[in-house]
Amino acid sequence: MLTRRLIVCLDVRDGRVVKGVQFEGLRDVGDPVELAARYEAEGADEIVYLDITASAEARATLLDLARRTAERLFIPLTIGGGIRTVDDVAAALRAGADKVGLNSAIVQRPDVLTEGADRFGAQCMVASIDAKWEGGRYCVYTHGGRVATDLEAVSWAAECARRGAGEILLTSIDRDGARSGYDLKLTRAVATAVSIPVIASGGAGTAEHAGDAILHGRADAALVAGILHDGVVTVSALKAAMRAVGLPVREAA
Amino acid sequence: MKITIFDYGAGNLHSLAKALESPGHTVRFDTDLRGALDTELLVLPGVGAFAAAAARMTGGLDETRAAVRNGLPCLGICLGMQLLFDDSDEGPGAGLGVIAGRVTRLRAAQVPQIGWNTLEETSDPAFTRAALHTAYFANSFVCRPVDPSCVVAWSTHESDRFPAAVRVGNTLGVQFHPEKSSAPGVAFIHEFLNSVLPG
Repeated sequence: MLTRRLIVCLDVRDGRVVKGVQFEGLRDVGDPVELAARYEAEGADEIVYLDITASAEARATLLDLARRTAERLFIPLTIGGGIRTVDDVAAALRAGADKVGLNSAIVQRPDVLTEGADRFGAQCMVASIDAKWEGGRYCVYTHGGRVATDLEAVSWAAECARRGAGEILLTSIDRDGARSGYDLKLTRAVATAVSIPVIASGGAGTAEHAGDAILHGRADAALVAGILHDGVVTVSALKAAMRAVGLPVREAA
Repeated sequence: MKITIFDYGAGNLHSLAKALESPGHTVRFDTDLRGALDTELLVLPGVGAFAAAAARMTGGLDETRAAVRNGLPCLGICLGMQLLFDDSDEGPGAGLGVIAGRVTRLRAAQVPQIGWNTLEETSDPAFTRAALHTAYFANSFVCRPVDPSCVVAWSTHESDRFPAAVRVGNTLGVQFHPEKSSAPGVAFIHEFLNSVLPG
């Protein structure tokens, strides 16, 4: 039986893990490789690096980081941020990513999903969708939540799946950083509309929230960031809470 | 032992190379299948599509089939496992055919299967020794061997029970990614290496 996943996200800038509120007052919190390896040892099921620089120079730094990480990390690594073309996908996979997350690029040119899936398989193409409740619907945003689009999140997720995405990484902009719990209505709407795994993101404030996202939001996986880095909860507390509500969870070695 | 990873141009091979590394073993890559046969263990890694990989293998298909049948240790991972079989519903092209059977799409609503799945009825001692009970899968297709006696571990996705691992002599195929299954996955690779060490 497929277990439910706990995924840890690290925001990366210039090769270092940073954190901050709304990208302001960024603070260096450590070396991504060290942090990723530590979260693996604590039982994280996957790691996501979200590159928040995405400048040309930063790209080389990120690929080098992927390379160093792949040699230390023995759980799946997803890299997102600034990946635009199928050649970018190739470079990221080649460098050491197991999957890539695409956000703004697929809104501008959805064919990238199909091209990537044809060449590398759907399992490595993650459609990353940032959604915000606006005017009675979930509106898709790009560019790190700064640019609104005409797309509606649930139908956009279905289109991404149709075009070759293997997973949906669904972030609620409203809940991001609020720590009041995942947007269960959004998550459930997307999870019931697609037949590929959905990763819930944005809003985790307690260990119980991750279980809620899966049990009530019908997500396959919950992504956490801030509450872990701030020491509010641990990976094992999160997984224990998932187990406590009856979800199948991988036991860490 | 000399280990060669057949590099057919797709995916992350760093973690796999690192997982195979250990004292007494050297790991190299070869983009040419015939060249890759100059080895003591052939590794068929696991990312990409069947047809593209099969096309890359046409040059050395017969030699590789003969070498593996004659006992050359071989580890096939994910797509690499599928390449041990005859052919695939995913696309045209011939696999090695060292295990009789066809590769077909998972019979499930949610495809691809992505995540950690439990291993059932494990019969190869490497699983117990490595304490590998749950492994990372990322696949839409699975192998259906004609003779299921080669299956040494099963998994179930929704209601489809499929081979998680097959073993015939020195050939091991795994549908999951041991190099992405954390410490027990890496330990499992080493148990397999030990089991095929010459002498």
